[in-house]
Amino acid sequence: MQGLSQWLMLVCGLSTVAVRRRSLAVGLATCQALALAGIAIYEANTIDESVAAGALVVRAIALAGLLTVLVSRTRETIPVRASVPPSIRSGLAVGLALILIWLIPVANHSNFDTLQVSFGLIAFGMVIIATRRATLFQILGIIFIENAIALAALGHSSYSSLVIELGVTLDLALIAMVASVFHDRIFAEFGTGDVAMLSDLRD
Amino acid sequence: MTYVTNYLTLTSLVVLLPVFLAGAIWVIPASHTRTVVIAGAVVSVVGASWLALKIFESRGVHRTGEWIVFDPLAGILVLIVGALGITSILFSDTYLRGLTSGVVSQPFRTRLFYSVLLVFWAMLYAVPLAGNLGAAWLLIEGTTATSALLVGFSGKPRALEAGWKYLILTSAGMGVALLGIALLGTSSRIGGLGGLSWSTLSRSSGSHPDMLVAFVLVVVGLASKVGWAPVHNWLPDAHSEAPSPISGLLSGALLPCVLAVTWRTTKAMSPVVGTSPGHEILIGFGILSLAMAVPFLWQPLAWKRLLAYSSLEHMGIIALGIGFGGPLAIAGVIVHLFGHAIAKSLGFYASQSLLTHDPRSAKHPPGGVGRSSPKLGATLGISLATLSGFPPLPLFVSEVLILAGGFENGYLVASILSALLIAFGFIGLLQALLSTLLEDHHGSQKFHYVKTSPIFGLAILATVFLLIISWVGLYLPSSSFVHRLVSGMG
Repeated sequence: MQGLSQWLMLVCGLSTVAVRRRSLAVGLATCQALALAGIAIYEANTIDESVAAGALVVRAIALAGLLTVLVSRTRETIPVRASVPPSIRSGLAVGLALILIWLIPVANHSNFDTLQVSFGLIAFGMVIIATRRATLFQILGIIFIENAIALAALGHSSYSSLVIELGVTLDLALIAMVASVFHDRIFAEFGTGDVAMLSDLRD
Repeated sequence: MTYVTNYLTLTSLVVLLPVFLAGAIWVIPASHTRTVVIAGAVVSVVGASWLALKIFESRGVHRTGEWIVFDPLAGILVLIVGALGITSILFSDTYLRGLTSGVVSQPFRTRLFYSVLLVFWAMLYAVPLAGNLGAAWLLIEGTTATSALLVGFSGKPRALEAGWKYLILTSAGMGVALLGIALLGTSSRIGGLGGLSWSTLSRSSGSHPDMLVAFVLVVVGLASKVGWAPVHNWLPDAHSEAPSPISGLLSGALLPCVLAVTWRTTKAMSPVVGTSPGHEILIGFGILSLAMAVPFLWQPLAWKRLLAYSSLEHMGIIALGIGFGGPLAIAGVIVHLFGHAIAKSLGFYASQSLLTHDPRSAKHPPGGVGRSSPKLGATLGISLATLSGFPPLPLFVSEVLILAGGFENGYLVASILSALLIAFGFIGLLQALLSTLLEDHHGSQKFHYVKTSPIFGLAILATVFLLIISWVGLYLPSSSFVHRLVSGMG
């Protein structure tokens, strides 16, 4: 169950790196967040862990709602094209994931697989932030990084997951809300959510 | 125990009062907003000063469970955050009166601004008092959310661009730090936040490579929020485009607070990863930040942008001081924290008057202000002279102490390189100072009248404090206060 969910998270992440439509990307991000919550529910043995898993479910649903509203409020007349083609983006994402896994010595760690998946998701998030021009995709990049960390925190028993999950959930809710305000204002100001328009500040 | 109870009462007053005020201003009449905010802020600052004095008076480090720590570093930063918070609030009125647009419409604009500012201020107070890495991380992320809103508050395109970059880049960086924290958590013998407290981090049971990787991830992640090069891209934009009162708070208080968390992490993890990695990473960030900032200090930049690059330089110098270690360099760090906070916030607050006096200075370097408005020119001059490290002002004292500490502790190459870069930075800022005061860039440009009494009054007060800090700085290296900072930290 855990392995399958982790694979699902990776597939959703890599697909988001490649897809063009924002609504599809929001669907994939929601699917990833739900898969994360699924792992938390499956592994919950104590009340604390159940509360943490519940918080992840609420977070996944709230994010899906927020992002869907954002997409519908800010319809692009012309799709914002990424500066890098999908195949190269995907290649970059996989390459960075492999480099991170190779660089960070966790081979002796009891949760080797989970940490590898986390590093992969972080790499996907970073590539999305670096290569996608649509503000909404950059928000998704941040969400992927946060999902990766929540997954890493879930992957071991010695550490109370409640603290990190509730903390991450609260933090993500705040950041996502502020990012949504910015996305909305940027769209109102420039008529598009394209970060290429944000290039006035240069020295 | 009585000590801790007193500390807790004061901490609750200092941290929770701004949060309470942030909510209260939505239910009181709008005409009373400013009065209530200022009255509450005064109470909070008195509490903060009292708390800091109690911390300085006491010997040793006091903790309340794993959540709060009271040590000299916390005392220093609580004092700085308090002073800068109230001055930011006092200068916010001028900013809000001149604001023609915003992320929300006018009936709510003033209240929203003060609410977010007060919550940001409360979080800033809490960051240096956080007793463990996990809580500190959450609070720092909280400051990102609130301060990003303030950076983009005007809703103007440049402010939105700066706010967006700040939000995305620092959130990504803090994500990397959280990964490091999660890895540290896996090696903790104690569950929950207790495993991440400053006192228990040193007893982590992971292998050396694992701990080192986790440590590097945490420090690199935090570096993105401190604004150290090469992860500083957001800093010049956010600090230059934020409302002036917020720029002062971001530069003088937020950056040092995050830097303090990095310092605490380095100190707490040194028994596990060794002292060298932490020191070397900080020295590396310090030199790189200086090298990145200096070329921009030589360029003719708009006033706020120049101050923003100067923040990069000064965070680099503080990193060097912490990296060099020892009583001399640490004394230099303390003097630098105070001197930088006063001079930088003064410069940013003065930028409001400068923009009214010479609107072109929003995008162009100011010129001839010493002639067109002597009081404003004097204020800008005091700020920039201090930031350049002009003797006998405190940043001169601190830079000498930090470099002396570097030589004393055997960091010969790093010290020489840093000395050269600091000297180049000094020349660059001196050029900017002369140009700002004496040169006439704008030819027949007409200047607007601006009331300079408030900012000039603050400049006189700041000068008195700066001279006191310089004088105290000379005696600091041999003081027990510095020895307490060098030997023990919460």
